[in-house]
Amino acid sequence: MEGELPARMGEWVVGTEAGTVLSCIGLGSCIGLALLDRRAKVAGLAHVMLPESPGGITPQPGKFADLAVPALVAELQRQGAMKHRLEAVLVGGAQMFALGRGSGQDIGARNEVAVRAQLDRLRIPVRAAATGGGKGRSMRVTVPDGEVVFREAAGRPITLLDPSADTLRMAA
Amino acid sequence: MSTYTETQLDALRELANIGSGQAAAALSTMLGHPVDISVPTAAALPLAEAVAVAGNPDEARHGILVPIVGEFEAAVVLLVPEPDAVQLCSVYNLDPSGEDGASFLGEIGNILGTSYINVLAEMSGLDMEPAPPQVVHDMLGAILASVLLASGEDTDTALLLDSALTVEGKPCSLSFLLIPVGGGVHELLGRIGVV
Repeated sequence: MEGELPARMGEWVVGTEAGTVLSCIGLGSCIGLALLDRRAKVAGLAHVMLPESPGGITPQPGKFADLAVPALVAELQRQGAMKHRLEAVLVGGAQMFALGRGSGQDIGARNEVAVRAQLDRLRIPVRAAATGGGKGRSMRVTVPDGEVVFREAAGRPITLLDPSADTLRMAA
Repeated sequence: MSTYTETQLDALRELANIGSGQAAAALSTMLGHPVDISVPTAAALPLAEAVAVAGNPDEARHGILVPIVGEFEAAVVLLVPEPDAVQLCSVYNLDPSGEDGASFLGEIGNILGTSYINVLAEMSGLDMEPAPPQVVHDMLGAILASVLLASGEDTDTALLLDSALTVEGKPCSLSFLLIPVGGGVHELLGRIGVV
């Protein structure tokens, strides 16, 4: 799609140009975290894979909730966003399989908890979320309005954040 | 981050070749149709690329996961596109989106996974056995990312052994992935004399 900027696993993207669409395609247990400053017309989208970094030198901070959230906030601030105006939308964190041992279980839920903890710490409100469950999702964020749309596998697109109506929907 | 030499990847490719050959033979017996296999590929890739090589992450797939537990841990994943699943299930007059169809797809995963790892177990002397299959119908990217993240302590690199199976007479094909968990691969390679 023209003007679409995909965030692959462990990456984040930032858009300031009108018409740019930021996307996370095929989120399973990963979390797609959209951060928006609708006044400054800046949006960022992180494709977070895991709750916590292992410590030490991490070549890809975008993979881990504890590093990705503050790093994306800092990047948005460099692009003109104000921290107190940032709003968050979360999509993903599904559990598709019962797999893994001990802490490996339900990575999706742990990802969501870790991302929300970082947002709380930074005092960024979560305006809408479509998380949990057992289905994969894709999400798209349109710059500069900050419209956030997601879709489940084989489902129709659902608007989570509609800037024109400024209505918010909480999905299950 | 795990890295693999060309020699190790060659050895893994050969194991995949023998394993998927056995798996194809077992599937052929179950379906009553000849089953061909492609030459397997073995690649160690960054996670994001591992998902990308499997196809467009948005595309729908029937995904069958067979966890392998024991001394060697891994995930066997079958990825079947919708039309191919319809063809496959038509052998027994089943609908892949129904309960019986899903159960049939799970059984295919079970047979393929079991025959594949039996070969690995025989050659390496490592104890391994399949856990019950789990069947989903979802986005390719979501299926693979979930398996890769839940199964590996190594979150940098995914080792994928990929063979395509083609069922004759029922024009359909599916991809067959063996995704080893963590350090087990080096133990496996050591047992067959490739260090």
